[in-house]
Amino acid sequence: MKQLYYEVKKCLGCKSCEFACALTHSLTGELFKEINKEDPSLPRKKVLFSKGNNYPVSCRHCREPKCVDACMAGALTYDKEKGMVLHDESSCVGCWMCVMVCPYGAIRPNIKTKLPLRCDKCKDKDEPACVSACPTGAVIWKEEA
Amino acid sequence: MKQLVVIGNSAAGISAVEAIRKVDKTSKIIVISDEDYPSYYRCLISYYLAGQVREEKLLYRSESFYKENNIELRLNRKVMRVEPKRNRIILEDKSQLSYDSLLIATGASPKFPHLAGIKKRNVFGFRTIKDVKEIEKILPVAKNACILGGGLIGLKAAYALKKRNIEVKLIVKSKQVLSQMLDYKAAGFVQKKIEENGIELIFGQDAVEIIGDGELKAIKLDSGKVIGCSLVIVAKGVSPNTDLVKDTPINVREGIIANEFLQTNIPNIYTAGDVCEGFDLVLNAPSVNALWPIAVEQGRVAGQNMTGQGLKYQGSLGMNSLEFFGLAVVSLGIFKIKEDDPNFEEIKFLDEKQNIYKKLILKDNYLVGAVLVGDIRNSGVFLRLIRERINISSLKDKLLNENFGYPEIMDLVNQKENLYV
Repeated sequence: MKQLYYEVKKCLGCKSCEFACALTHSLTGELFKEINKEDPSLPRKKVLFSKGNNYPVSCRHCREPKCVDACMAGALTYDKEKGMVLHDESSCVGCWMCVMVCPYGAIRPNIKTKLPLRCDKCKDKDEPACVSACPTGAVIWKEEA
Repeated sequence: MKQLVVIGNSAAGISAVEAIRKVDKTSKIIVISDEDYPSYYRCLISYYLAGQVREEKLLYRSESFYKENNIELRLNRKVMRVEPKRNRIILEDKSQLSYDSLLIATGASPKFPHLAGIKKRNVFGFRTIKDVKEIEKILPVAKNACILGGGLIGLKAAYALKKRNIEVKLIVKSKQVLSQMLDYKAAGFVQKKIEENGIELIFGQDAVEIIGDGELKAIKLDSGKVIGCSLVIVAKGVSPNTDLVKDTPINVREGIIANEFLQTNIPNIYTAGDVCEGFDLVLNAPSVNALWPIAVEQGRVAGQNMTGQGLKYQGSLGMNSLEFFGLAVVSLGIFKIKEDDPNFEEIKFLDEKQNIYKKLILKDNYLVGAVLVGDIRNSGVFLRLIRERINISSLKDKLLNENFGYPEIMDLVNQKENLYV
């Protein structure tokens, strides 16, 4: 199954991946409509700077996901075939247990919607939006090593 | 054929049988519960009462789960006594059941204070689906409720009742809500939200009597004040359900004492979940840390060890997260220290306008606790720094920065990084 990797040296920290992520997960799907909204769509990925490098941080879809164990509402399941943690929004109560236990700080709370923001690998598309959005090819979409 | 018996059908019990069935398809497994309801997400009962979660969403494992995994489920059966010497348990109807290996995952029950009138009708605990269904029944005729206790359960009950248009008063003995997970400052933010949303808080007073002839009429406080109410919820903490091991050689303090394998002092008896007194990583001492995610974790390890895998449980710590009227709060490990205690160091961030308060507690350059209000990003990273006992002397001034996150601790954690190439 495919996973997101990052060639850190190539990452400029331009946040194009964040924009593409937010846009792809928005209702309007249009940048100018979205940025003028009161509640713009939020990215499920954040680029963080550390010791001279930029690191895009998002859900890694861990094989033994702590968030799935912690979910007290049955909203999270691990799909072995897809290699993904699936989030069922209709079951989520916004208790933030998943945020509390994520070892990568990769799940962020959206306080307004009371839903956690996490990467879904752009599930219905051939590849995640952040991949083609990256101007330097730092975001790599490939089979898991 | 081996017979494995699990007492308890919630997070720890289910997690254990799943772990057992992963490697052992043949042993007979019997799960016993004193509740007359299939396994459910206990923490959702307040959301159910609030009308935000439908009943079918409460189901934790369906009936087919037990069939598919060849597990015998016995509901509505209470275990009265464990007899370790004879490797058997005695049930309420005097029947016996023998085991080769036993897991005690009996959970906890609400503590009811010794008050005059506490046994009256319409005085409830807030722990089971049964409690909530009974509360629901009287809602059409109930107008006002008093909740005893300002902990998380009391707050959740208050929230649910408020959502059902019941007038709610929360009676809190101490000076603040959530005194088991937040400092005074952090609690202030939560209290503001509670009061803004129309729930009345009464501090520094405790109930002394529940008044009414048969029917509940009012509650009397130690200040002499009498508050009329048609519903009382007692939320003064829980105590582990250890009665079944009373007068047995099984060691009990607050909960049933577990070693690092989640084994009691009797080798073929294990314990997990809210009844289990395991090792606390932060306190460096035994402690009961009753929380859904911990029960799942412990249940799994206990289950694995019941199949002879000999896995060590690294220990747990007190923690919790909550969302209250749009305010997110996380508490990890030590959340309060004595003023000017030279052994600890605090790092704080405060933005009253934005309702953001963050406090980290360090001891000898190790993170030992955190309180995060309004901005809970990175709480999992902080949890990791605590759990993995990572020396953070090089990070101290960065921990509460806007840009802080996993990349800053990447070199310090015991894990090979393969995503960043």
